[in-house]
Amino acid sequence: MLKIDNLQVAVGDNKVLNGLSLEVPTGEVHAIMGPNGSGKSTLAHVLAGRPGYTVTGGSITLDGKDLLALEPEERAHEGVFLGFQYPVEIPGVNNVYLLKAALNAARKHRGLPEVDAFEFLTLVREKMQLMKMDESFLSRGVNEGFSGGEKKRNEILQMLVLEPKLAVLDETDSGLDIDALKVVANGVNTLRSPDRSVVLVTHYQRLLDYVIPDHVHVLVRGKIARSGDKTLALELEKRGYDWVIEEAA
Amino acid sequence: MSASQATSKVAATPASPLTARIAAEFAAAHAGSEPQRQDGAQALDTRPRVAPQALRARREAALQALMDSGLPTSRDENWKYVNLRPLEKVRFVPPSGAARPAMTAADLPAAVGKSRYVFVDGVLEPSLSSPTTAAGVVVTSMKVTAAHSTAAGVAASGVGGATPIVGAANDDALPGDLRFALLNEAFATDGAQIHVARGTDCAICVELVFVATAEGKAGASYPRVSFKVDANARVGLIERHISFGSDANFINCAVDVEVARDASVQHYRVQQTGARAIWFDTLTAKLAENARYQVHTVNLGALSARSTVYVKLLGERSEVGVFGASVGGKNQVHDTFALVDHIAPNARTNQSFRGIAGGRSRVAFNGKIVVRKGAHGTDSSQSLRGLLAGTDAEIDVRPQLEIYTDDVRCNHGATAGKLDDNMLFYLLSRGLDRETALRLLKWAFLEDVVSKIEVPELRRQIEASLAGQMNESAALKELL
Repeated sequence: MLKIDNLQVAVGDNKVLNGLSLEVPTGEVHAIMGPNGSGKSTLAHVLAGRPGYTVTGGSITLDGKDLLALEPEERAHEGVFLGFQYPVEIPGVNNVYLLKAALNAARKHRGLPEVDAFEFLTLVREKMQLMKMDESFLSRGVNEGFSGGEKKRNEILQMLVLEPKLAVLDETDSGLDIDALKVVANGVNTLRSPDRSVVLVTHYQRLLDYVIPDHVHVLVRGKIARSGDKTLALELEKRGYDWVIEEAA
Repeated sequence: MSASQATSKVAATPASPLTARIAAEFAAAHAGSEPQRQDGAQALDTRPRVAPQALRARREAALQALMDSGLPTSRDENWKYVNLRPLEKVRFVPPSGAARPAMTAADLPAAVGKSRYVFVDGVLEPSLSSPTTAAGVVVTSMKVTAAHSTAAGVAASGVGGATPIVGAANDDALPGDLRFALLNEAFATDGAQIHVARGTDCAICVELVFVATAEGKAGASYPRVSFKVDANARVGLIERHISFGSDANFINCAVDVEVARDASVQHYRVQQTGARAIWFDTLTAKLAENARYQVHTVNLGALSARSTVYVKLLGERSEVGVFGASVGGKNQVHDTFALVDHIAPNARTNQSFRGIAGGRSRVAFNGKIVVRKGAHGTDSSQSLRGLLAGTDAEIDVRPQLEIYTDDVRCNHGATAGKLDDNMLFYLLSRGLDRETALRLLKWAFLEDVVSKIEVPELRRQIEASLAGQMNESAALKELL
């Protein structure tokens, strides 16, 4: 279970998260919604340990383990996966190489031997089929020259191969057409299981038509202003965020 | 002939203490006959070794030209990154072979391809070499060529049949700086002369390995290569520079390349000399009509390495690729000056450099393209990128263009900076450990250039060396 307690985060002098508390029990999918600048992406980045954010108070634990004490790569080893809003292009680093290195890093942490080359390719091909990705993606540089939709699919592909305990998807739906959105949603749904948690950060309700959340939270000025079930997302779609902001004021 | 007579031909005006000493060493060395090696190299050629007058005249001409121009100083704009001070301690005459350490093939990098020529302190070592059997390819030791030519009654043309450097240095169309090549011409006693006949197809044709063993105070090493490729041939040449032992070698290399019409050449150069070595290098190339020449240089070794590259595009539609990768660590200095001169119309240049400076090293690449009047339709691109990987490291990448005609397309880009934090975080977030992630990113940075090496075995060796080098100079953490 992911447990965030009274989290306070600043970027420079700017306070972005102001006492955010949230519990995501294992097996559940929670959506984090909110207006621009409410701190959604900050939350996603802080969970993954991105530098540049100062945690000034509060705690984050995953199954009792203190995430804030861990380096980004150690969090990944503990099963945290961040799906980036803007996946980074890394020309010269092969996609398949990264996948394999990432999988082996996770296996090493669990005391498992390196993955067998044949098993690995079988696994990757299977997941790529699910994500409707062409095999040529494998030999290309990481996200190099990928379209927006291809980058997002690649994020989900990595997630499916790594099978994280906690997946944090930061606006994975942004910039996707409806077909790509369905493919990405299908990928996320495949990963849903009683031993995994998913945090979906999204601006729009659209994705939640395909990935049905157990809970929806609205973030306003760095705090959860309102929580509810999937109907809250529909209400936000209809009424916008203003009423929640006013309530929070 | 006495020493005084020899020097009389070389007026040491305007002599700096350094050039005066060079002239004095030259005179002393040439006071008698050609200096002879007292070792196995002689086994190759048992003919009486005559020092032909023509050869001597040519050396003196080179020395005179060097005296006239003087050696560069750090005040010269194009030499400001090079540490020229070690020159003061060098003995410029080649070492006598007598004190040479015993070496076997196991001391050399694994051979790529079948034919390999090993030169120790600039002189061919037949016992370590495996001659080529490829049809249309003739490789000759220049030392032997000189004797042959004399025997055949043909005027010997200096160190082998190599193009005289003095001629090239006076060539107005090549506004180059060949001063170190002149020094090579004055002192080199051997070298590889390679001639590839018309229509020959030999992808990994010849591998040259230049091994430096001598301490610079005891004598200098002068690798010399003359590479002539006739029309329609397609060849690959591998040229390596290494050290044996840990002495502070002084190496001064001169290579000239001529590519005839419709010929295509891949030239791989790997500089992996020792941690105390001083390496100077001058490469000149001339391309005829529709000729294609790609030179790939990988700089890893030496305390101080300077490469000066001049390419003349003399023929219409000729095409040159100058690809360089340089990884410096500790207190290394790697400096390259690469000039491409577009003389003929519709020729193309592709210049690409990737340098990583770690520790307290300095890595510089100065890429200049001159488009002369009449060279319309020139198409050139420059992509020069440097990566700063140490707190006290220095990167200098400089693209320069001089255009004297209309109707040209010249692109250039230059960047110098640190590794991208976003890329690093992306890899870490996928569980890669920091060390692996940094190495991978540096790797990726060099990949643009390294991926152009078309010989798989050579590429594998270079990648292994790069990996080793980068591991050592991973002072990057301090910056991130």
